[in-house]
Amino acid sequence: MDRRKFLKWTAGGAAGAAVVTSAAHFAPLLHKEKVAAASRLEIPTTCEMCVNKCSVVAVVENGIIRKLNPNPESPRSRGMLCARGNAGIQQVYDRSRIKKPLIRAGERGEGKWRPATWDEAWDFTAQKLSAAKEKYGPQGTLWSSTESFQEVFFKNLGMAFGSPNIVRHPTLCLASVNLAYSLTFGTVPSFDVLNAKYIIMSGANRLESFITPDTMDLIDSTMERKARLIYLDPRFTVTAAKADEWYPIKPGTDLAFMLAMMNVIIGEKRYAKEFVADYTVGFDQLAEHVKSFAPEWAEQETEIPARDIARIAREFSDAAPRAIYYAGRRSSWYREDFQTRRAQAILNAIVGNWDRQGGMVPNGKLALGELAVFPWDDPVAPRVDEMDKNFPLAAKGDGAYLKLRENVLAATPYPVKAWMVCKQDPMNALPDQARTIAMMQQMDFIGVIDVQMSDTAWYADVIFPESTYLERQDPVEVMSGLYPVVVYRQPVIKPLHDTKSTLEIVQGLAKRLKLSQYFDFTMDQYVDAQVKELPLEAPLEYLKKHGMYVAPGFPKYGGTLTAEHRFVTKSGKIELFSERLQESGNDPLPVYHPPAQPPAGSFRLILGRKAYFTHGNSTNNPWLNAFAPENRIWLHPKTADSLGVNDGDLVEAASTVGAVRLKATVTQEIRPDCVFMLHGYGKKSKWQRLAGAGASDAQLLETAWDKVSGNAALHETFVKVRKV
Amino acid sequence: MAVHQKRYVLVIDSRKCIDCKACVVACRAENSVPLGESRNWINEERRGEWPKLLAAFEPEQCHHCESPACVRVCPTGASYQRPDGIVAVNEAECVGCRYCIIACPFDARFFREDKGVVEKCDFCAHRVDCGELPACVETCPSKVRVFGDINDPSGKVRELLEKRRYRTRKPEAGTGPQIYYLL
Repeated sequence: MDRRKFLKWTAGGAAGAAVVTSAAHFAPLLHKEKVAAASRLEIPTTCEMCVNKCSVVAVVENGIIRKLNPNPESPRSRGMLCARGNAGIQQVYDRSRIKKPLIRAGERGEGKWRPATWDEAWDFTAQKLSAAKEKYGPQGTLWSSTESFQEVFFKNLGMAFGSPNIVRHPTLCLASVNLAYSLTFGTVPSFDVLNAKYIIMSGANRLESFITPDTMDLIDSTMERKARLIYLDPRFTVTAAKADEWYPIKPGTDLAFMLAMMNVIIGEKRYAKEFVADYTVGFDQLAEHVKSFAPEWAEQETEIPARDIARIAREFSDAAPRAIYYAGRRSSWYREDFQTRRAQAILNAIVGNWDRQGGMVPNGKLALGELAVFPWDDPVAPRVDEMDKNFPLAAKGDGAYLKLRENVLAATPYPVKAWMVCKQDPMNALPDQARTIAMMQQMDFIGVIDVQMSDTAWYADVIFPESTYLERQDPVEVMSGLYPVVVYRQPVIKPLHDTKSTLEIVQGLAKRLKLSQYFDFTMDQYVDAQVKELPLEAPLEYLKKHGMYVAPGFPKYGGTLTAEHRFVTKSGKIELFSERLQESGNDPLPVYHPPAQPPAGSFRLILGRKAYFTHGNSTNNPWLNAFAPENRIWLHPKTADSLGVNDGDLVEAASTVGAVRLKATVTQEIRPDCVFMLHGYGKKSKWQRLAGAGASDAQLLETAWDKVSGNAALHETFVKVRKV
Repeated sequence: MAVHQKRYVLVIDSRKCIDCKACVVACRAENSVPLGESRNWINEERRGEWPKLLAAFEPEQCHHCESPACVRVCPTGASYQRPDGIVAVNEAECVGCRYCIIACPFDARFFREDKGVVEKCDFCAHRVDCGELPACVETCPSKVRVFGDINDPSGKVRELLEKRRYRTRKPEAGTGPQIYYLL
């Protein structure tokens, strides 16, 4: 950083200096004394800048949020608040927020709006939804949302309306890893990163893609407690930089690496024999299955030296049970993703790290009360994504987003003509943006609830502005895991604009759709019913004061290591071999299929994260955007040379579904057969700073999914790059 | 307990820095630092050739020197050092001459066009005076920075500096920088 560049010796600068008299300039030094009497409040609440829901303390002076501080009481966020958490203030005070309901005045995507009253917006939407229901049945409406504390109300409205078509984010994120661990252990465990001695991560870039407490614990365990980190990634990430060993694995071959590890561990009898005998089924089949996958074979597939694979396998089993093959979070990589995650789960199982300190730990849970609401009938029609037929093992309630889009476009098995979206941006979250736009264009109606003008909102007919997380009360939520916590979100200021909570928006619609009986409660009543089960004398007062309730006695280890414990699987044991997979026509043990490789002159597009951005959601935050105002495409110098591209040159990247233009970064930090770009740029919405800044990966990514879980396969696209 | 004069310093374990920018944004919020300027920053070093690569990150801000050049050159006394070592700017006295910007060996100061004064890290003196930590120290996810009184014999700072090897940046400038980077 060249700080001297700011040094301009101009008369204007010197003259400007004379105007320093206002006491306001002393605000930082004096602010406590000044406002102590007036109003300086410290209000604990819960962050919403990403999925971690960290505990924060808002410093509010005279009704203005001055600062968001970490809440040291939280065992999950471990007394930290990341860049995004700190920048949350800007979400509130961003001048380009959606400040009142809007109704489209021009063509879709033209960006012409007229401000509307809430009654108008509700009436218009209710009328359109009713028209769709009349013509196509309730299944002709689609309700999609991303997780937030009020998502439940939005989903319930869709279900009360009678639609089977509720679709959520997991199949764009972690559906394959969740399903793989569920089918193996009957649950999705947490990983005790803090106490592990040996950690292997396949592309889980935990130091740039924060998960609490894992990210902080990874630093602690590797830097302070001398745990060893082995990291596999085609890209040199921050996690790679901090790892003890980094292997730029050939993309899509992680399963070969895992099979070879099992080959060594089982072949050399290094597995946890007693644990395997007591708690698992199918070990003999597994042993037979991995016999042929020697490290020398895996070296050919992965480009990781055989001797290293064998050594890592030995070190891993020696360190067990304090050894973990970390599951990772976003597992939407390849068509074979599910089987890769299964192999990982099995590898963890055979070294006996289940429910042990420094190993995998089933999530601690806390029970909340529930407000009794009027029950609605189950939908009559089947889901439009035909989950039962296409993904019989997957979590049905979440849907399979890409298959859903393809079926809607084909009007199979029936037409879907109205779409309600709650705080999600499918325009950028789904691959092949052109097809998402086509899906939107075939809709008779699109309604969006959001805080900022996303690209999806940009194409909507009605936009309902939501109050930000610092302006509203939410239901409480249990964050299960190693340290189960109940978190509470209370408003720290009144809404700045004419915005409402999702519950209020839903209630306004429900009233007009004659569904009020399902939403006949206030937020206070809802929260009261939730918290009354907590072992506290005055639970709500406690949550208002602390922002959270920490369950005592965690972390707990070994609760499931008893002869009586039954795992929630078909056999009641940990399933190395899965009969359920076999019965549903899938491989009962992970079978490796080498991934297709890019033809000469093409490169695999891989995606990843920066610690200061959450998906495509916070690239527009001015304090965060400043760190990377545009994205660029990473090219290895060898690749760049072959294309005649220099650092900073404008290039065109093209796949079979689209082409984009952005600048090139020529860097050693990526494999020569891959290119990389950051997510969340090249927006269409002119209300964002990102319109025309870099490019959207969604325009390039081709549609592909994992066949077992339906999870999007986001690393299966090959692109050509040329200088323009 | 013996009364001693406090001397605040910062000990930084750069190995733990993951370049997440939490400190930069926390400082911006805490001290209303305008976009385009920053009181703290993260130096980055990247080298090597595929696949033998290295990336290192090193947070930096005002070093609150023992003998601060910025204070020495200030013609109005606006730049001053507190007895506890914190170097700060009294904005009412600052005439915006910017001698201090040139004098600082660490480029830790910048000129604020909107106010016509020079600004810098003051270890969040307003927080420290209330017994709190500087915003950058508190918010850090990997707890890279340890802030404290080097004169406190039982403090974490002393413990770290006694146990670990460390270096300071540009000791040759002769200002006695008080950010200690652990090796």
